[in-house]
Amino acid sequence: MGIQPTELSEQDISTEPEVVKQEIAGRSPTQIAIARLKHDKIAMICLVVVILFFLIAVFAPLLTNLFGVELKAGTADDTDQFNFPIIGPPDHGFTWEAPLGLAPNSGDDNLAEWFYGARTSLLVATVSTVAATLLGVTIGLIAGFSRGWLDKSINFFIDVFLSLPFLIVALAIAPILVSRFGNQPDALEFWQFASLLIVLSLFGWMLLARLVRGEVLSLREREFVQAARVIGVPTRRILFKELLPNLIAPIIVSISLGLPAFVAAEAGLAYLGIGATGKASWGQTIDRAVPYFNTYPLYLYAPVVGVFLLVMALNLLGDAVRDAFDPKTRR
Amino acid sequence: MRMKRPAAALAVAALMTLAACGGGSGDTSGDTNAGDDPTFKEGGNAGAFKDEAREAPAPIPDDATEGGTLTVLTAVAPSTLDPTQAYYTDSTAILSDLVTRSLTQYAYNEETDDMQLIPDMATDLGQPNEDNTEWTFTLRDGLKYEDGTDVTAEDVAYAIKRSFAIEELPDGPTYQTTFFLDGDKYKGPFQGGTDYAGVETNGNDITIKMRRPFSDMDYYASFPAFTAIPEAKDNPETYGQKPLATGPYKFADYKAGASLTLVKNDQWDPNTDPGRIQMVDGWEFMFAQDTAKLENIIINDNGSAQTTLTYDNVSASSYRQISEDKERLVTGTQPCTFMWYIDMTKIKDIKVRQALGYAYPYEDAWKAAGDIVGVTRVPGTSILPPGTAGRKEFDVLGIGGVNTDAAKAKELLKEAGAEGFEIKFLFATDDDQSVAAKDAIVQGLEAGGFKATPIASTTETIRTDRTDYNSPINVRSSGWCSDWPSGGSWFPAQWAGNLVGLEGMPNPANFKVKKFDAEQDRILDELSPEEAVDAWGEFDEMMQTEEYPAVVTGYGGVAMIHGSKVGGMANDNVRGMPTFARMYITE
Repeated sequence: MGIQPTELSEQDISTEPEVVKQEIAGRSPTQIAIARLKHDKIAMICLVVVILFFLIAVFAPLLTNLFGVELKAGTADDTDQFNFPIIGPPDHGFTWEAPLGLAPNSGDDNLAEWFYGARTSLLVATVSTVAATLLGVTIGLIAGFSRGWLDKSINFFIDVFLSLPFLIVALAIAPILVSRFGNQPDALEFWQFASLLIVLSLFGWMLLARLVRGEVLSLREREFVQAARVIGVPTRRILFKELLPNLIAPIIVSISLGLPAFVAAEAGLAYLGIGATGKASWGQTIDRAVPYFNTYPLYLYAPVVGVFLLVMALNLLGDAVRDAFDPKTRR
Repeated sequence: MRMKRPAAALAVAALMTLAACGGGSGDTSGDTNAGDDPTFKEGGNAGAFKDEAREAPAPIPDDATEGGTLTVLTAVAPSTLDPTQAYYTDSTAILSDLVTRSLTQYAYNEETDDMQLIPDMATDLGQPNEDNTEWTFTLRDGLKYEDGTDVTAEDVAYAIKRSFAIEELPDGPTYQTTFFLDGDKYKGPFQGGTDYAGVETNGNDITIKMRRPFSDMDYYASFPAFTAIPEAKDNPETYGQKPLATGPYKFADYKAGASLTLVKNDQWDPNTDPGRIQMVDGWEFMFAQDTAKLENIIINDNGSAQTTLTYDNVSASSYRQISEDKERLVTGTQPCTFMWYIDMTKIKDIKVRQALGYAYPYEDAWKAAGDIVGVTRVPGTSILPPGTAGRKEFDVLGIGGVNTDAAKAKELLKEAGAEGFEIKFLFATDDDQSVAAKDAIVQGLEAGGFKATPIASTTETIRTDRTDYNSPINVRSSGWCSDWPSGGSWFPAQWAGNLVGLEGMPNPANFKVKKFDAEQDRILDELSPEEAVDAWGEFDEMMQTEEYPAVVTGYGGVAMIHGSKVGGMANDNVRGMPTFARMYITE
């Protein structure tokens, strides 16, 4: 999947008419990809959706103020004798007091929960993606460039991590944290969130590391790398200045496909009761709302639609990014 | 008695425990302000009355048809069906009502909508001697096991001896070790041999000797542990797989944790049994079912669902749907009180304890946890639940056990000079309802001027954390259900000073006040059983008024649903279970 500048330009030369040769010569693979993306309507729509979600996440407190709703403000007076909300859709018509209705039992506002749920979702996904990418790229670079025992042991390390069952580790960590930090509520909340990020990152870097290693293996035999070594460029400089720029494409593709995976993973773990308790989360809301699919579907649909839209937009965008960076696709 | 909740309380040594925040079912006591729901039946006297004269056979209702199978779906599963070990509400109800007969039994009384203690295998409710230290029960003639052999007094005596084998058969009721002769020394027939001086037989008579007066023996004799077990056919490890039936139904197939099929026992003679009928051909119990699924099946009422029922409390999400169809909803009481036990060793100022009672966000916490106020959780202020003999209705704080008064709480805290007093309580991070209740409680306590520090635990560890003396908490959320409807099954079991420090923390409030210990001894040793009944009610009021060691957070109630052709289903308010013994299929 690597993009080799020489090949790329050769291909372009052979297929494009001579008139544009001058123009193309000045463009990097990234620029080409961006130009392609701009012409992809689906990608652009998805990008807008994703940006919208990011704005919601960033401005969640502002938005809740704007709508006049509040997190966890429910009291017994907000629900009737059956513990169903007394205002808001779908039973009592739309009201700006509670545009998405109130949660049964607790009477908490669903919209506020949804805004903050988006925030948790994207925060977890972004941080985990960045961390996993950094880990994967670094380890992949080192493994690919070093020969002998270091490469072998890193490979072994990657295999070990690939063989660890992600869900079981996540499930095992939760009660350990509770027993360790149970009597320090603030520390517990921090560590539950941190452990979620750590678990997601620790289980998200291996594939990228392998990918990068494979690329580096072929790149390091190239003339420009050989030349750099001959003239005595330090290894670190070779890695980051000579090799890394050639790996931009797989990295970006990995990021754009990793984000939706992490959003889904966060929701899934929250549904299983792992992750940050006390923080609003789509997954936890879905878990609570499942018994109401029949009697109060809006409660369930709001977070489900949130997860669905975000994951789909990110996925389609990721596909488009991959296509755009792939020299073999022509659209 | 232990509740049927999932995972129920296995680790806890006490008679029963309640889930931290869940649990419950609904009752109504006449005086609480909960009963505005018309489905709500008044009362419940939890078998406070006895009816020694009830005649066999039990009457067969007019609309009953013979045949058919009743299906029972439930999200929980009984941990054991060995009669000696049965101590949860579900296992005792299934065994006592359908399979294994005991010396006495509870039967539903339609007129009063409550349970009465009536004779079962015995001809009466037992003959005590003058000071209640010796009880004699006489077996009826014509009692047979499912294999046709006769039930003998020796078999009942063996079953009683077997109940001392706590090591081989753990988790059963343990009053026999406290009250019966040599109860503290005899270790059951497997270790101590069958020579036990506490039980004697003579023809059809069984005489039980006590080492201290035990006036509630007739109630206690209704437990499945007081059935008949032939010694020759007993194997403590496998007997629970197929206990020999003496009742109208016998085990056909039992898969522990999954299903139980009962079929007619043709050796059962209705003329020996004043409490049970045998109208349906069999029973099909399906355990560990998905709650949403089973509720949907029963609510939709199609085909075989018409003869299906559940003994789980209907969830809040389905209650609204079924409450329109009141015919198929059974509500009632359960003799359980939920409490926040205040650790007397850590919160020494009564003003702070009372402030806690004012600040506790009763309705917010109940609703957040999914309880339906007035149905599955009923407000109250006395520790003794409605339906207990001698119960006194009183209201120390004057808020009816439901009207949170944050201003009053702040005032009391100020008077005590304890503003911002830190309250530490447990919750389970992996239980949504527990987390939701925790959020509501934190808000409520902080509004009342406390500092609330929820201590995290998990559903798996919360019971051991709660009963750990070293846990960094100063209130304990739990509860108690009576084994029989008298104060004698309440206060000596949880509020006696000599329980402080024992393994399993049987006294969750660490309540050890000389005056009240002396009063308990006086009631137990000096008063006659009749005087004691009222004395316990007085004791309840006196303790709550003078010490306030517990915030009563409501009584448990039940709201069970059934298909349209299920007949005779009422609430057994001793257990909070359906009255299996008198159920049938309607025309």
